[in-house]
Amino acid sequence: MPRSPSNNTLLPLLRKLTEKLGDQQAKNELRWMVDHIHATLDDSRHRQTIEAERQTRLSARLWRGQSAPSEAEIERDNVRFSSVQWAWLRQAVHDRTENHKPLQYIIGSQPFGQANILLRHPVLIPRWETEEWMLKLVDMLNTHFSLSSLDSSGPKQPLNILDACTGTGCVALGLACGLLPNTASITGADISDDAILLAQENLALNSLLIKNKLDFHKLDLLQTSDTASKLLDISPTWDIIVSNPPYVTPSEYKQLDPDVKEWEDIRALVPMPADIDPKTVDLGDLDPSGVGFIVQLAKLAQNIGVADSRRKSLAGTNIPRLVVEIGGTQQVEPVCQALHDHGMNSTEVWKDMAGNDRVVLGYLKV
Amino acid sequence: MSYSLFRRLLQRQRPVICPISGSFGQRFSLHSTPRIYKAAAAAASPFAKDALPAGSLIAGKSSLTPRIHDKLCVLKTKYDGLNERMSGNISDLGRDELAKLSKDLSDTGLIVVPYKRLLELYEELVELQQMIDSGDPSFRDMALEEKQETLDSIAACEREIISGLLPKDSAEKAGAILEIRAGTGGDEASLFSGDLLRMYERFALTKGWKYRPISLDAEGDMVKEAVVEVSGRGVFGVLMFESGVHRVQRVPATESQGRIHTSTVTVAVLPQATDVHIEIKDSDLRIDVFRASGKGGQHVNTTDSAVRITHIPTGIAVENQQERSQIRNKEKAMQILRARLYDRERQKAESQRRESRNKLIGTGDRSEKCRTYNYAQNRVTDHRINFSLYDLEGVMNGSSLQYIVDQLRIQNDLDELARME
Repeated sequence: MPRSPSNNTLLPLLRKLTEKLGDQQAKNELRWMVDHIHATLDDSRHRQTIEAERQTRLSARLWRGQSAPSEAEIERDNVRFSSVQWAWLRQAVHDRTENHKPLQYIIGSQPFGQANILLRHPVLIPRWETEEWMLKLVDMLNTHFSLSSLDSSGPKQPLNILDACTGTGCVALGLACGLLPNTASITGADISDDAILLAQENLALNSLLIKNKLDFHKLDLLQTSDTASKLLDISPTWDIIVSNPPYVTPSEYKQLDPDVKEWEDIRALVPMPADIDPKTVDLGDLDPSGVGFIVQLAKLAQNIGVADSRRKSLAGTNIPRLVVEIGGTQQVEPVCQALHDHGMNSTEVWKDMAGNDRVVLGYLKV
Repeated sequence: MSYSLFRRLLQRQRPVICPISGSFGQRFSLHSTPRIYKAAAAAASPFAKDALPAGSLIAGKSSLTPRIHDKLCVLKTKYDGLNERMSGNISDLGRDELAKLSKDLSDTGLIVVPYKRLLELYEELVELQQMIDSGDPSFRDMALEEKQETLDSIAACEREIISGLLPKDSAEKAGAILEIRAGTGGDEASLFSGDLLRMYERFALTKGWKYRPISLDAEGDMVKEAVVEVSGRGVFGVLMFESGVHRVQRVPATESQGRIHTSTVTVAVLPQATDVHIEIKDSDLRIDVFRASGKGGQHVNTTDSAVRITHIPTGIAVENQQERSQIRNKEKAMQILRARLYDRERQKAESQRRESRNKLIGTGDRSEKCRTYNYAQNRVTDHRINFSLYDLEGVMNGSSLQYIVDQLRIQNDLDELARME
């Protein structure tokens, strides 16, 4: 098919993206879309060569301290696109600019730790803050594992870790890939069918990278008594709960970007009981603090024995029992209070790279 | 003291650090040593001659030249001073001051304590010698026996002093790059730089070092320029004093009239570039993520993955937004920052090395010599320590070079120690 030069150039698409995203970010996102075409839709035999050339150019630019490619460089990238690829790209830019579709849903994947996570509307897109604390936790646990393997002989029981509200399964997968082999047995739980399905796909996709036992279960974690017995069926003991639970307050939710509000599952963002239909929910009826779910989680932790100091596996160690992501400084106080109310005797707050209070950790210290 | 007694003493005493053994070693210690000693003593200043303890003259061959004795005396005075301060009122000294004081004391003590014992042994020796010279036959045999024991102790003491002076600095443990260039003297200089190159090659062989030519500009036996990598333990510490202008005085093979020529070769020894150590402290870094003003977390789904890392001490900043993952961008930015800092350190080390090289070798003028190889007199003289060795052949075949190197080393260490506060 002959290509009409007026249609098949990147510059109009770049201008469209620039209107919405600004110059720098538009260039980045277009580049990532083009990367995606090269990585998945390109059947050219020269793909690897092209990719290598592109990487070299990018590295050279980075080394020179230039952040953005020039328009000429962007133009140079599109030489080998087929009509199918052009169609995909135009649709992608249209979705991005007119429909506020998140780039991650367009491209359909996002790196997270060592894993590559598939993404699909409406399952929550992993945030970099979550990746950051997950990696920090991996380092912390691995240090513990390598130290404790030194001071006592015999094989250790793997730690039972629950990832509550696993969504795409990213935290559970990140732990399963990052933790030393056979040190943990990880369970991801979520209330959403979409999420569990996607998490299973991600488990299959990353199976070569996974070094620890990992599976996913559909569970409503808010029905505390019932959930506790179900969890104890899965494993008789639990050592650590990690979670990126919903923590956006109803009033904050109203202010969110359409990228988030129109595309991501409200149940992953705003804590609400399972029996409420998210489509018809009146935000005014919900807990205004945004910490409702975390309080329930602390209670659940107590019920399944995570907060039991008599348990031997982690006794006397400096390993957190409960690790939850929070929405900011205003949630530190109520979350710490909830953790203390439900068995933890010590708490810690981690900040993220942007300097916001991001994670609360509950400990049982001697 | 009769010459025969001197000879006997020499026969009994083993060379202290002389690396030569077997029949050659025997010959060396019998014939060459007195000349070494005389040359060294003659070259020393009158002060140094006065400082030489009487006992050491009786003891005969020693690797401690008058100059070294001179330095050891300075060191001893310093040690006594430190000792006095240490035994006095130390309660008003700060912790750092006290630590420095005790470190200095133990550093100097390492050499001064055996030196003090050596001086005592020298005194003993003088008394014994007087007993022997007095000719009383009842004491004579006993005194001779005791003298032998004392001589053995002296040798042990000297060894201890010298081992206290051997390299401790970590930089001196590295390998070395050896550069040899023909200086003034045309073809003869090139011929001699070839001779020197072979000398170092054989020396490296006897030391068990790895010797690897990097570049060689040669024509037959004539070497205009050679760069050699010598690796092994402590190479730089041994070869570092070889840097300088080496002067040769001989009748060149190219000379038809039989006249003695003087030519020069420059030698530069540089520590081998090992890994530049880069340590980045977390507290030295400022990490910025962009559009960080909002609540973050679930509230926003940003694709702005730009990360900027600033290394505060150097002001180097690396910004990266290549990848979609902030975390990967940060890792990559760290890598680049590390590489930039490495590059910077390397360049700094490089320019320092260039500077020190220029300082080391000078211009190659005949008068700037550090060592002379005089073929007619079978003599190698190191001008920096006024030390002559009448064994040119041994030096050139690499076997006796160690003797000169040791002298340089000891002299250098004593100078360093004497400079210590």
